[in-house]
Amino acid sequence: MTVELAEKELEKKYNKLTGTAASNLCTHCGWCTDACHVYQATNDPETTPVAKAEKVRRVYKKHHDWMSKVFPFWSGAKKLTEQELDQWVEMAFLNCTLCERCVVNCPMGVETPQLIAAARSALTAAGKAPEILVQLADMAISREENAEIYRDLFLEQVKEIEKELQNHLGNPEASIPIDKEGARILYVPLSGAHTILPEAIIFNAAHESWTLSMFEASNYAYFLGDSDKAKRIAMRIINEATRLKVKEIVLTECGHAYTLMRWEVPKWLGGPLLFRVRNILEVLDEYTRDSRLTLDPSRNSEALTYHDSCNLGRKGGLIEEPRRVIRAVAQDFRDMIPHGLESLCCGGGAGLVAIAEWSDRRINAGKPKAEQIRHTGAKVVVTSCDNCRHQISDLNEHYKLGIKVTSLAELVVQAMVLPDVKKATLLPK
Amino acid sequence: MIPNSVAHFAEYELQIIALATMLVLYAIKSYQLTRLPMPWEKGPKKGKSLAGTIRSYTAIFMPWSMESSRKHFFRWFEFGAYHIGALIAILNTFTTPFVPTMMTPTVRLIFAILIMPAIAAGITKFTRRVSRTELRLISTPDDYFALVSVELFFILAVLALALNTPLWRTIYFFITAGFLFYVPFSKISHYIYFLFAGVITGSRYGWRGVRPQVRQVR
Repeated sequence: MTVELAEKELEKKYNKLTGTAASNLCTHCGWCTDACHVYQATNDPETTPVAKAEKVRRVYKKHHDWMSKVFPFWSGAKKLTEQELDQWVEMAFLNCTLCERCVVNCPMGVETPQLIAAARSALTAAGKAPEILVQLADMAISREENAEIYRDLFLEQVKEIEKELQNHLGNPEASIPIDKEGARILYVPLSGAHTILPEAIIFNAAHESWTLSMFEASNYAYFLGDSDKAKRIAMRIINEATRLKVKEIVLTECGHAYTLMRWEVPKWLGGPLLFRVRNILEVLDEYTRDSRLTLDPSRNSEALTYHDSCNLGRKGGLIEEPRRVIRAVAQDFRDMIPHGLESLCCGGGAGLVAIAEWSDRRINAGKPKAEQIRHTGAKVVVTSCDNCRHQISDLNEHYKLGIKVTSLAELVVQAMVLPDVKKATLLPK
Repeated sequence: MIPNSVAHFAEYELQIIALATMLVLYAIKSYQLTRLPMPWEKGPKKGKSLAGTIRSYTAIFMPWSMESSRKHFFRWFEFGAYHIGALIAILNTFTTPFVPTMMTPTVRLIFAILIMPAIAAGITKFTRRVSRTELRLISTPDDYFALVSVELFFILAVLALALNTPLWRTIYFFITAGFLFYVPFSKISHYIYFLFAGVITGSRYGWRGVRPQVRQVR
């Protein structure tokens, strides 16, 4: 039964040209091997992108490739078994973060992550996905179902953050609006004050018309490849934006939330959303270019570098925007080599940071990123993804990098010159 | 030594049958692919799909544009030599029988010279496939057979070009025909999928402003 469910799900995913091309295009040339941070860190031949994709590809071929149907041994094609599925769990959820670095290094453009994502979907359908990811996805749905109970708790939390905001700005009138109909921006944070307070400071200082979303931006069902749940979680925000008649949704510094809402949701819905979708990075870029904030780069004088989240950069197209902001708010910016399109994954993406039992292996897979950071000599690492931030903080501790890890919004707040406030800081000490 | 009728059959009828078979099978494959839904981007675009598609098709000609070719330049060079050799060897299967006046000794020499590096590249590719653990792990009988059969195709092409005797030409065309019959069933047919993948991956990256990178947005 488990295998049948997984096969059914795989078949659904195969019925897309991307999967077909990915499963038949690879020539096993091996160009992608050392593009993968997991292989770089472990040197385990089972962790090369091609080896991981091959597990899925061989199952696809058994059903779809002319030669493999008749002579499966010729292409290594095989039927999916329970044992095979068990082996897929680590391959799909631990050894691949869907970072797409292999795609940009493949001469053929094989979309290996599409195959791994299909494996994730199959494992989820078969009930073999990591339990914590399933729980986190279900929690998001439960928040929608119990919105009233959650609302009171949320308002209480926001009141506390609002007090901090007023202290920071020295302005007792500063506020964090919720449910404000007709606001220009619906800002969608993550759970926790660290993605609300800095943005609230910035929006207030820029006199922005905004309102805070009741929901968090993250969508763990996306990591599971569970399209139905992922759509439902995303729709909470879309419905809220529709109800409040906002002009745009601005997502917090969260990689997958942005890629999902900006690029994937329109595909699911068959067209663009009724409102603009941006990441807070783009808003910060707009504010700095339009001089809507008074900034003093000397307040960020330490050497700093920027880590591109794979979702925001390689998959989302936000490569130059954060760099423009950093140049406007800091004095000593040093890019990692490589960066941008070729940036190395931190090793914690696609939900991996949430899976506690794999933390040692996750930190090991982040070794190439740790070395890259060390090489820059930077004392501050800016990253615009909460998963990356969590992972880089762990790498900092484990590999003794001696760095501070911060978000771009926090860095901007650090550089902001506010009337009546000498220096606001949200950076970690 | 080789009856004229056999040599003629190998060079003409057999080639046409083999090519027609391959084309029909490719047409079926392509038709099946075009029946599947294309994952077009639907969000407001940041860059240009066409630019991304062009970039996807041409990335291989720009070794500086990919880390994998920058770090392993020899492998990129080998890739180029191999594919140039393949192109010439395939071209030769058309020019020798159908445009014989073009195949002067000089042209044959140039063709042979262009195919020879591909033979060397085939040997290094095969050596790497058997010697590197990570490649051995993913290799299938099709991988080895494809390499060996293409290598044989190259060697016979050079021999047929250099010696230009009916015997070698006939052997070359018989092997070529076998090769053409096999190609649609093997990984060698990857280029059919490459045509689709270039659009799928390239248009996505282009649309999203990832590759080529869109720096300024208002």
